[in-house]
Amino acid sequence: MSNVGIVIVSHSADVARGTADMVRQMVGADVPLAHCGGAPGGGLGTDVAAILAAIDAAWSEAGVAILVDLGGAETNSEMAIEMQPEARRDRIVICNAPVVEGAVIGATEASAGSPLAAVRAAAEEALR
Amino acid sequence: MEFDEALRRRLIGSVAQRVIDHAEELTALDQAIGDGDHGINMKRGFAAVLESLDSIAAEPLPKALHAVGMTLVMKVGGASGPLYGTLFMQLGKTLPEAPTRSVAAEAFATAIAAVKARGKSDVGAKTLLDVLVPVQAALRDGAADPAQVADDAAAATVPMQASRGRASFLGARSVGHVDPGARSAALMLRAACEVLGG
Amino acid sequence: MSAPIAVELVNATGLHARPAVKFTKLAKTFAGAGVEVALAEAGPWIDAKSVAKVMALKAPRGAMLFMRASGEQAAAALAALGDLVRGGFGEADGAG
Repeated sequence: MSNVGIVIVSHSADVARGTADMVRQMVGADVPLAHCGGAPGGGLGTDVAAILAAIDAAWSEAGVAILVDLGGAETNSEMAIEMQPEARRDRIVICNAPVVEGAVIGATEASAGSPLAAVRAAAEEALR
Repeated sequence: MEFDEALRRRLIGSVAQRVIDHAEELTALDQAIGDGDHGINMKRGFAAVLESLDSIAAEPLPKALHAVGMTLVMKVGGASGPLYGTLFMQLGKTLPEAPTRSVAAEAFATAIAAVKARGKSDVGAKTLLDVLVPVQAALRDGAADPAQVADDAAAATVPMQASRGRASFLGARSVGHVDPGARSAALMLRAACEVLGG
Repeated sequence: MSAPIAVELVNATGLHARPAVKFTKLAKTFAGAGVEVALAEAGPWIDAKSVAKVMALKAPRGAMLFMRASGEQAAAALAALGDLVRGGFGEADGAG
């Protein structure tokens, strides 16, 4: 599938899973999708290993758009991008958008076959 | 000073243990002006460092510090993981195997710059940088007691208002509390100074 | 732009979330048409291919949705989108 993939990163595993559920239900199965949430030991927080795994799971040659909730999710996602093989790094972006709305809107754009820049722009439109 | 395996083990082990010993204090500080997980996160990260201490200390200093940084990135979680992880990984990139104090001070400056970039922050925002930066200056200028500089700098964060990180959402309510990241930085620096003889 | 058509939103949630996604996905399939929607014939008209903007309309059940299109696929786009809205977006709660 060459639609852009969507990765959801939240401090909460429940929020991440719920957001992914909403994306699947509203947008369908045309978009590679992965989610992660929670600290490495459990509880609220973000986990670089989990983000790396999510990027792998949602990887598409068209790239991946990451949706994050708060500070730590963004910083840890940045670390995960830096830890990617060089060939992938410039095809992964972190969207400046609210996590739920950005994921749904970004996934909608992705499902239409739009390129990564358009997916990110659509998601960031959600930040009204 | 020769950074042999025994010294590396003492240095890294001591820093890790100091943070673990103070985890509850860090949690309490973070409950006041953060989301309350700094202690737990740092303890988890440094417990993982201690678990791997044998293999970490077996490596020459640069690789050892890089391994510490990577462990922190993968295990701390939260915002501190990338910040402290970057600090140690960058030190690992720049330090030679047996640094002098002045070489270490320069490497420390490079590592601090990487932390600033990672956290998109600078001094004055009430963060770990408010300890790291003055201590680097003390090391560079040959100050007698860098550990005291660290402690004083952490205490100096009390009247500051946070403009970065979770505490910044509290605005004026962040005033009157020590920044947890500043405190953990000071704890680590004092532990390191004790092992390295100031 | 074509003359606008008006279709009533008959499904329970109007043009919210999932219906908005279906609407914009369908609009996007007409690459050869520009499509706009509004809640009044005088506008303001917004891009029907922008799901963020379509959701922001917050058009409820019973509202009239005005649509207009330009380009070679204009007629086909309006026909398809009109059918989608009239059919209640294929949602279980949509009146046929």
